[in-house]
Amino acid sequence: MNYTFDLGAVTRNFDVLLQGLSLTLQLTIAANIVGLILGFLLALMLVSRFALVRGPATAFVEFFRCTPALIQIVWFFYCVPMLFNVFIGSITMAVLALGLNLAAFNAEAYRAAIQAVPREHEDAGIALGLSPLQRVLYIILPSAIRASVPVLLTNGIGILQQSALVSIVAVPDLMYEAKTLATETYRPIETFTIVALMYFAISLPVSQLVGWLERRRPA
Amino acid sequence: MGNTMTVAPAQGDGSALLCVKGLRMGYGPVEVLKGMDIEMKPGERVVLIGPSGSGKSTLLRVMMGLEQIQHGQITFGGDPYITADKGKTKIDIGVRKKIGMVFQHYTLFPHLSVLGNLILAPCKVAGESRSSASERARALLERLGLSHRVDAYPAQLSGGQKQRVAIARALMLDPKLMLFDEVTSALDPELVAEVEQVILQLAAQNMPMMIVTHDMWFAKNIASRVIFAAEGRIIEDGPPEQVLGNPREERTREFLERVFHIKT
Ligand SMILES: Nc1ncnc2c1ncn2[C@@H]1O[C@H](COP(=O)(O)OP(=O)(O)OP(=O)(O)O)[C@@H](O)[C@H]1O
Ligand SMILES: [Mg+2]
Repeated sequence: MNYTFDLGAVTRNFDVLLQGLSLTLQLTIAANIVGLILGFLLALMLVSRFALVRGPATAFVEFFRCTPALIQIVWFFYCVPMLFNVFIGSITMAVLALGLNLAAFNAEAYRAAIQAVPREHEDAGIALGLSPLQRVLYIILPSAIRASVPVLLTNGIGILQQSALVSIVAVPDLMYEAKTLATETYRPIETFTIVALMYFAISLPVSQLVGWLERRRPA
Repeated sequence: MGNTMTVAPAQGDGSALLCVKGLRMGYGPVEVLKGMDIEMKPGERVVLIGPSGSGKSTLLRVMMGLEQIQHGQITFGGDPYITADKGKTKIDIGVRKKIGMVFQHYTLFPHLSVLGNLILAPCKVAGESRSSASERARALLERLGLSHRVDAYPAQLSGGQKQRVAIARALMLDPKLMLFDEVTSALDPELVAEVEQVILQLAAQNMPMMIVTHDMWFAKNIASRVIFAAEGRIIEDGPPEQVLGNPREERTREFLERVFHIKT
C-alpha cells in the first residue's frame, strides 16, 4: 500500500469540524442534564413501594435499554412527528432522543446505588431519631448519589459517542461535518482519523477520572 | 392481704429504668423471642450472653424500635413506649429517643465526615444550631481521643476508630440508656481494647447500659448483672459472680464451658 497521508484537506477545513464539535459537545451536555435529572426521578419511581409507580418507570427503562439507540433516534425523528403531529427543532429532538436514552441508563445506576445502601445505615438513622423523609434526604440519597458518580460519568461519556448517531438525521454534529468533509475532499481516511482522535481526546480524561474515582472508593 | 391488683403490677415499680413485659416477637411464623421479662434499675449495666441465634440482637433491636413485636410492652422511666396492639407495634418516638444504640457492623454514614456524622441528628432532629452541636462534638471527640480525626471520613478510619465515633454519635443525643450489640466482634483483636475502654469510661460515669458481648474479660469487668438467654427465653439472670462464676442453671454452665472454656 502506498497511500499518501495528506492532512491538508482536513486542516484547511478545520473550522467546519470545530463547529461540528461544538454542536456535539452542546448535545452531550444538554443530554446529560436531561439524563441526570430525569434518570434520578425515574430511579425514585423504580424504588417505590407501589407497583403503579414502579410500572411506568420500569417500562420506560426497559424500552430504552432493549432497543438500539440508532432506532430510537430514527423513530424520534420520523415517527414522532407523524404519529403525534408534533414538530420540534431537530436539535431539540436530538437532545431529547439522547437524553431519554441516557435517563434510562442513569436511572438504573441510581437505583442500584440506592438499593446498595446497607440496611444498617437505615437502622442507624432510625436509632438516631431521624424521620423516614430525613433518612432518605440525609442518609440514603447523598450516599447513593456519591456511589453512582462513576457509572453516571461512564454513561455520560457514552452519550458523547452515541451522539454521532444523530448525524444520520442531518443534525450537523461533528460526525455529520466529518462525513460531508470526507465526501467533498475525497479524504475519508484522514478526516475520520482526525475526528476519531477528537472524540478520543475528550473521552479519555473522563474515563481516567472514572478510574481514579473507583480506585479511591473505599472497599 | 386480699388486694390481688398489687401482686402483679402491669408495669415495674416506679424505680425501674426499663421494663420489658411478656415480650414475644417473631419473623413471620418463626418465634424468636418467646416471652421475655426484664426489669432494669437505673445505673445497672446488664451484659446479655447466649448462644448464636438466641435472640440477643433481636431483643436490642426491639428495644430500639427497629422491629415489630407480637405481644408485650416495654416501658422506659415508667412510660410505655413500645406496645403490641392488635398485631401492630406502637412506638412512642419521644421516649425511644432517650435510648442510644451502637451496632456490630460499621454504621457511620460514608458521605459525612466524623463531625458530620456526629452533628446530623442533633441538628436535624433536635434542632440544635450547627455551631453549638459542632462545639459539643469536638469536646466529646477530644475526650474519646479522636480530636485529630474530626474532619476524616469513615473510610479513612480504623475499625476501632469507627466504633468509637459511632459511640460518640450516639452520645451526642444525651441518651439515658445505651445498647451495645457486639460492638467489638467485627474488629481486629488489637483494636478491641480501645473500644472497650470507651465503654468502661462511660460505665464509670454511671451510664446505664445493656451489652451483648462474647468477650468474657469485658463482660466480667463491666457487668453489674448478667442475663443468659437461649432460644428466645431468659434462662438465668443475676449478678456476674453468680451467672459467670457459679451458675445455677445447667444450660448456663454448658454454654460457658462450650464457648468460653470456663469450668465452673
Ligand atoms: N431479619 C430476620 N428475618 C428472619 N429471621 C431473623 C432475622 N433476624 C434474625 N432472625 C432469626 O432470629 C433468631 C435470633 O437472631 P438474633 O440475631 O437475635 O440472634 P443473636 O442472639 O443476636 O445471635 P448472634 O450471637 O449470632 O448475634 C435467629 O434464629 C435468626 O436466624
Ligand atoms: Mg447478634
